Amino acid sequence: MLDLSFLGQTILNGLSVGCIYGLIGIGFCVIYNASGIVNFAQGAFVMLGGMITYVLVSLNVPLILAAAITIICVALVGVIIERIVVRPLWDRKATMFVMILATLAAQIVIERATLIVVGDQPKSLPVFTDLPPLRLFGIAIGYQTLWIFGTSIVLIIALGLFFQKTLVGRAMRACAINREAAALQGIQVSHMLALSFALSAGLGAIAGILVTPTQFTAFNVGTPFAISGFIAAIVGGFGRPFGAFLGGLTLGLAQALAVYSLGSGLKNMAALSVLLLFLFLRPSGILGSAK
Amino acid sequence: MKAASFIALALATTALAAPAMAQETFKVGVSVGLTGYAAAVDRAWRDGLEVAADYVNSKGGVRGRKIQLVIEDNKSEPQEAVTVYRKMISSDKVNIFISGCVSAGNFAAAQFVVRAQIPMMLCSILPPQPDQVKWAYSFLAPPRFEVEKRFAYLKDKTPIRKVGVLHDPSPYANLQKDLAVKAAPDYGIELPVVEQYKQDDADFSTQISKMESAGAKAVLKIGLGGSTVTTAKNIKQLGLNTLLLGSVDDLAVFKPTGETLGNQFLFVAAPAQVYETLPEGALKQEIARFLPLWRAKHGDRDAVWAGKAWDALMVTVAAIDKAQSFDGEAIRAAVETLPPYQGTGGIYSFSPTVHQGITTNPFFMATYENGKVMVKN
Repeated sequence: MLDLSFLGQTILNGLSVGCIYGLIGIGFCVIYNASGIVNFAQGAFVMLGGMITYVLVSLNVPLILAAAITIICVALVGVIIERIVVRPLWDRKATMFVMILATLAAQIVIERATLIVVGDQPKSLPVFTDLPPLRLFGIAIGYQTLWIFGTSIVLIIALGLFFQKTLVGRAMRACAINREAAALQGIQVSHMLALSFALSAGLGAIAGILVTPTQFTAFNVGTPFAISGFIAAIVGGFGRPFGAFLGGLTLGLAQALAVYSLGSGLKNMAALSVLLLFLFLRPSGILGSAK
Repeated sequence: MKAASFIALALATTALAAPAMAQETFKVGVSVGLTGYAAAVDRAWRDGLEVAADYVNSKGGVRGRKIQLVIEDNKSEPQEAVTVYRKMISSDKVNIFISGCVSAGNFAAAQFVVRAQIPMMLCSILPPQPDQVKWAYSFLAPPRFEVEKRFAYLKDKTPIRKVGVLHDPSPYANLQKDLAVKAAPDYGIELPVVEQYKQDDADFSTQISKMESAGAKAVLKIGLGGSTVTTAKNIKQLGLNTLLLGSVDDLAVFKPTGETLGNQFLFVAAPAQVYETLPEGALKQEIARFLPLWRAKHGDRDAVWAGKAWDALMVTVAAIDKAQSFDGEAIRAAVETLPPYQGTGGIYSFSPTVHQGITTNPFFMATYENGKVMVKN
């Protein structure tokens, strides 16, 4: 007999993880739009988000303050990567493959530096609201899940307003549409590139801070998140921030339903097969590619 | 002039070569996953070996030779393990391998090691082929011990008879899973859901929900690393009173897991993890020999895997002393005729037919509460 509460729980679990994939996917899109670069150091931002918050909380910094400091620190790391890794190559008009390799190298450097500083053991954060989960039709809704949903929705709305209503956001969109034309209009494209790295790193950090209380963080957790975020960005339509979020939800849901129906051994195979099939039918992703 | 230069060069070469010959070392190849899913355990294994090698070298080495560790990161991947094993065989010309816990990596490289006739002391389970087993010795307790300890606890101490199994895809975890499926009926336990996860999965809520839906009141978690923390967090998020029964692992994993679930989390503890509660005797004495050296270098970091590495090197040294030789075949034969060796992880009794040295279950069931490991049986 179909256990509806289990099915509902599965859908909720999938959407919750999907929100995280989506936020990481948005990070990919923001940088891609401003620069045409696929930044594979995105996973490192997620890892740093959880890790720096953990370190600060262990030093008795209140969680909310620790989270705020972490987001700023990781955004700065994003800018540093842009300045010392990406910008020199960008100025020399390096190819996309070189950029990808450079950002992958940056990811490895950040991982190793983290390993040296904090060690190899798994760390975790307490949940933001330590209360038993809410129950609705037999479905358990953990407060951390609500934090993930709530923060994701707020961020999506804020990003939408930023890109639509602010001068800087519009300038970034102009860069996304045509960098040369944007430059001719007086937009400092290189500043937009630095800003996109800061924004993207900050989003990655938020994803890391949100997800760490539901699992753990360690120096090497970034890469799997980067892969899932990248898939989310492609499924949603590369370069479309909201599409990436929808892509993340789709991937999370597909994985959860694969576990529900086939077992977790076939989770990724089943989920990615479904997504591949979808891309055969709609190669430009859910919302269509930005370029 | 030319002749004088030649003589000077010859003298200089001789002068440089002489100390090198005097300092001939016994090379120990170490394939470990310093990165990847096995990093926490294998780094401890490496660090334990370093402490053991320093100790042996401080006593003059083994039969006049200092021990030299050749450590290579296999990234917890079988393909990488093959590469580093081959490098250590052909370039470094190691005398023996004392390798970490990435069983798939040790399996993948075993054929090359056997061809080179080099004994392998392993943190992992034994490779599957009989000709490979001949050269391999495991310092891991038989996987069934971990399973049996947990099932016995459930049977004797709880009314729980339905259990879900959550395991990773490593050969060690798969073997334990198969043993669990086979042994469960002997303890009156039913396993309605058996799920496999990947070590880097971000969430197990759906697997745990599936177990709950099937009536399982405990999760038998088989696998190392942070995934145990994720399982605990997910159980708490789902508001379940399901017991989580963890495998042998590092205290750094047990600590956040215990802080999340309290006494809902039980784990299989190795002797070194419950040192304070052990009765006086040979086991406690051997742990006491190793622990101060370990703590002097690594503080209060968990000593369980490092202790096994210490055991592996000490058995190797004992075998070389017995064989009076550094030859691989002679060491191999000596390991099999050593008297039972008291290590920090239990008593190792190797023989021509027994290559998994620990034959008596050395484990305890424990919880992590209020910052302390508490023995529960």
